[in-house]
Amino acid sequence: MVTLTIDGVKVAVKKGSSILEAAQQAGVRIPTLCHDKRLIPYGSCRLCIVEVTARGRTRTMPACFNPARDGMEVATNTPKLRDARRLQLMLLLRSHPLLCPSCDAGGDCQLQNLVFDYEVPELSFGRQSRYFHTDNDSNFIRFNMNLCIRCGMCVRICEEVQGQSELSFVGRGIESEVSTDFDRPLDCEFCGQCASICPVGAISSKWLVGTGRRFELQNTSTVCAFCSLGCSLTLGEKDGKTVYVTSSEDSANEGNLCVKGRYGWPFAYSESRLTKPLVRKNGSLVETTWDEAIQTVAEKFGAIKKSSGPDSLAALGSQRLTNEEAFVFNRLVRTVFGTNNLDHAGGYAYRSVTDGLAPMLGYAASTNQIREIRDAKAVLLLGADLTETHPIAKNEINLASARKKAKVIVVDSIRTKLSYREGFFLSVPPGSEDLIVNSMLKFIIDGGLLDRASVDLRSEGFEELLASLKDYTPENVAAVLGLDANLIKAAATAYAKAETGVIILSEGLNRYHDNSPLSKAAVNLALVTGHIGKESCGVYVFGEKANAQGALDMGLTPELLPGYHSVRDEAARTKFEALWNGQIPASPGMSAQDIFKGAENGSVKGLYVVGENPVDTYPNRQQVENALGKLDFLVVQDMFLSSTANRADVVLPVSAPYEKTGTFTSSERRIQKLNPSSKPIQGKPDLEIFMSLAAGMGKPELSYAGYSEVMSEIAGVVPMYSGVSYEKIGDKGLVWPCLDIEDSGTPILYEGGFPIGKARLAAAKPIGTVSRSSGSFKLIPCVLKFHSGSFSEWSPSLMEVCPPGFAEMSRVDMTDLGLNDGDTIKIIGNNGQAISLKANESRRALQGMVLVPYHFSKNKLNSFTDWGSTEIVIQVEKA
Amino acid sequence: MQERDALLKKKVQDSVEQIPSDQLLLLDPIIEKYQGSMSYLIPALKEAQETFGYLPMEVQRKLAKGLNIPAPHIYGVVTFYSFFTVTPRGRHTIRLCLGTACYVKGAKDMLQIIVKEVGINVGETSKDGRFTLEAVRCLGACGLAPVMMIGEDTHGNIIPSATLGILEGYQ
Ligand code: SF4
Ligand code: SF4
Ligand code: SF4
Ligand code: FES
Ligand code: FES
Repeated sequence: MVTLTIDGVKVAVKKGSSILEAAQQAGVRIPTLCHDKRLIPYGSCRLCIVEVTARGRTRTMPACFNPARDGMEVATNTPKLRDARRLQLMLLLRSHPLLCPSCDAGGDCQLQNLVFDYEVPELSFGRQSRYFHTDNDSNFIRFNMNLCIRCGMCVRICEEVQGQSELSFVGRGIESEVSTDFDRPLDCEFCGQCASICPVGAISSKWLVGTGRRFELQNTSTVCAFCSLGCSLTLGEKDGKTVYVTSSEDSANEGNLCVKGRYGWPFAYSESRLTKPLVRKNGSLVETTWDEAIQTVAEKFGAIKKSSGPDSLAALGSQRLTNEEAFVFNRLVRTVFGTNNLDHAGGYAYRSVTDGLAPMLGYAASTNQIREIRDAKAVLLLGADLTETHPIAKNEINLASARKKAKVIVVDSIRTKLSYREGFFLSVPPGSEDLIVNSMLKFIIDGGLLDRASVDLRSEGFEELLASLKDYTPENVAAVLGLDANLIKAAATAYAKAETGVIILSEGLNRYHDNSPLSKAAVNLALVTGHIGKESCGVYVFGEKANAQGALDMGLTPELLPGYHSVRDEAARTKFEALWNGQIPASPGMSAQDIFKGAENGSVKGLYVVGENPVDTYPNRQQVENALGKLDFLVVQDMFLSSTANRADVVLPVSAPYEKTGTFTSSERRIQKLNPSSKPIQGKPDLEIFMSLAAGMGKPELSYAGYSEVMSEIAGVVPMYSGVSYEKIGDKGLVWPCLDIEDSGTPILYEGGFPIGKARLAAAKPIGTVSRSSGSFKLIPCVLKFHSGSFSEWSPSLMEVCPPGFAEMSRVDMTDLGLNDGDTIKIIGNNGQAISLKANESRRALQGMVLVPYHFSKNKLNSFTDWGSTEIVIQVEKA
Repeated sequence: MQERDALLKKKVQDSVEQIPSDQLLLLDPIIEKYQGSMSYLIPALKEAQETFGYLPMEVQRKLAKGLNIPAPHIYGVVTFYSFFTVTPRGRHTIRLCLGTACYVKGAKDMLQIIVKEVGINVGETSKDGRFTLEAVRCLGACGLAPVMMIGEDTHGNIIPSATLGILEGYQ
């Protein structure tokens, strides 16, 4: 710690902090025009100059990049400094066109504000006009370089944080400006970070043009509803309509957003949104009243239950339900329907990853906070293409790589963008990442690179683990995978020797086999090297959708009640039965896969699908379609008429995430509150529908006064949430486990030990073989950063920037098949299914792999997939 | 004067002719040589310019891909150093001063002669690849007005009718 005085205020700051940071801590405002806490100080505007007196000498220096030192006396606002700043502002104004009356940034422009604050007079010298390029052709963002003050923040955030480097200073001297190569329109991540960081109006959001200015918008902060990172959003409304989305720099995500969070919201205004319930009459869906719809559902489910028993009913929830809704849905299905046939898509995808974690460590969730990744010295990515799946977490890896010189070890069947960072790339066939992890582990143990204390004192089962790894020598695994054993060894050494190391797994609907061997291997590796229970260490699992973690916490599974209590556990069941005022069956119900099998063979007759679209996203499309066709009664609750809703007997429209309250739990276990914009609600919140349905089915006691009442019930039965309340969640969220009112959350798990005593190392499965078939290709259903499940198809903005795309293939394969970019190929599966689409050469595709995004219903990619299969063998022909 | 301002804003034109893709193969050895390190961008660009004479879009994009350096970054470097050019250039670059002193003292007439006799206007390169013409603001040698630079040589106090004679010295 160093102690200094700023404008008479004494303040103690961390060593290495800048004078600017110290001032912020002391509550003293120093003007800046080229600084942002996310960026490396640049020192070009010199507005932040301060007078520093140390050892009897006074000097003037920029505060943003000079370190605070012990005993400094800093003055930030002397008349001399004010004069100097005033002159600097005048120099900026010399060539800055004063278009304030028509500029998008007017009223929220840092230059304008400073000119006002410093009472800059009429310029005493001539103004200068220069002409720079403007760009109105890029998606979402427009550029007017005549307004640029050359602070460089856009260029820097694009490179340092996003890792995209789409912008550069071009030209030299007074002619230089920010642009792309040859001034082409943007072709980038479209994260909009450049527009959000620009202190003036040079880069701005197109939506605001002619609509409204930032300062006059009515703001609501809420949580992003796309991926599971839980970025906080600020919705800006004008005349009751959202026109602008940004994020506060004080949020956990520091104001960073990806394209979905920042520009994906127009789905809420889509013309295709359902506003009234639909009921099937004479074969077609027609609009009806809520009363009739609810009554129809209640009667029909009631009748099926009566005639064929409660287990002829089944329900699927979603990772997009709030915690409160998932909890009440759980109650509805188990106590009102009377069945445990309850699951959701995360039940086969995300769950297989977390399932590896819970028995070994204690909790089924990521161990550390997302923002700690930036300080890790090694990052091991296991099938985690974060640039596409979780863009904001990808930024953390850019930071670790560039600023901490972290080694980035990518184990994947896609040549991901992060694999070009300093480190190692180990290519594996789809679903074989665990082999690499096990052989790294074997090499680390054999080579004595392990952390003995962690193994001996904090874990058990080492001998069994060691025995199970017998065949996993780097040489063996390298031979099986066709890799160089030295690469495995080097990667293992880098991870083991790094002072801090994180392991990241991501999960999506594109992976539907059992991933628990991989997550177990990852946990073994972290435990054996001692990379757990510390800052910037641990194992991260990133689920696909916003409430992936919460859906599991709230027990949207056939056998786990909220809080991971098994339905088989009588004590737990009794507690829930008393609370929920109803009986819960004692044996586990059907999983999603079994529900569809059950529907096919007639044992499931009524299905309630809430917030999911199995027809387009579940494995084995043929089976799903067939199964739905056989049901007596299908109810779908959704915002849109999805392919699944189209087959329903009743469709219940729900409100959009931006119209709702409740909480989501992010991948870092952060429970955050949603707040509705003032926009009128279309459809109904899921919670309300659940309550009316329960009442319709004769259980009016399933009723809550609101979301916070549900949360207090959750706190009573879900141990990790026991200290959670809406007041405590506040603006920043609360990280579980939060055990009582005093507890302010637990950002890092297992710092003081494991709730299960010692961590349990898990034996590896036998090595097995990997098929390396020739003459055929493997299909990889992949994720694109512009989309999220099949849901984002309803967002016109995201479809505009990323329309149903292309198959990506390696250059070698394209040449072999005589293909040019844009040629159409036919993909034929082993099951005879075929689709045609255009192909492009891509560096991401390794030889023998065909990457196709799975977001687009028109591609019907799930015709090729099946439950439990790790790889999809296909034939590819030129069409 | 308006006409002059327009001329001064004119940059050397973008290349219209595409470099045929088989010629782009000439970049492969350069990419091979400098792959893997961002620090060698400048030598790589220099060699590429020596190969093609200039660095058009196709060349820059191929280098970007091959060297794994973002294309905007390469463009930023290319436009920063006056040594690099994105357009084909003649063997000699004529920089004709159109600053006020030179303009009134005959640069205007010199320009007309060049347009007529050499057949190029500002921003253009002659068909035979001999000259590229650029208009510049005051070269800081108003005492010698009108002033014209050819390559590194400065010519001053030019009588417009002598323009062609001076150019004769540059083949
Ligand atoms: S939108 Fe994002 S990726 Fe694109 S230029 Fe701006 S900061 Fe860079
Ligand atoms: S465009 Fe904006 S952010 Fe970028 S350099 Fe100019 S003023 Fe700064
Ligand atoms: S990274 Fe995820 S949570 Fe953050 S803005 Fe993007 S989609 Fe939303
Ligand atoms: S903020 Fe310090 S120099 Fe610009
Ligand atoms: S005007 Fe030509 S040198 Fe000054």
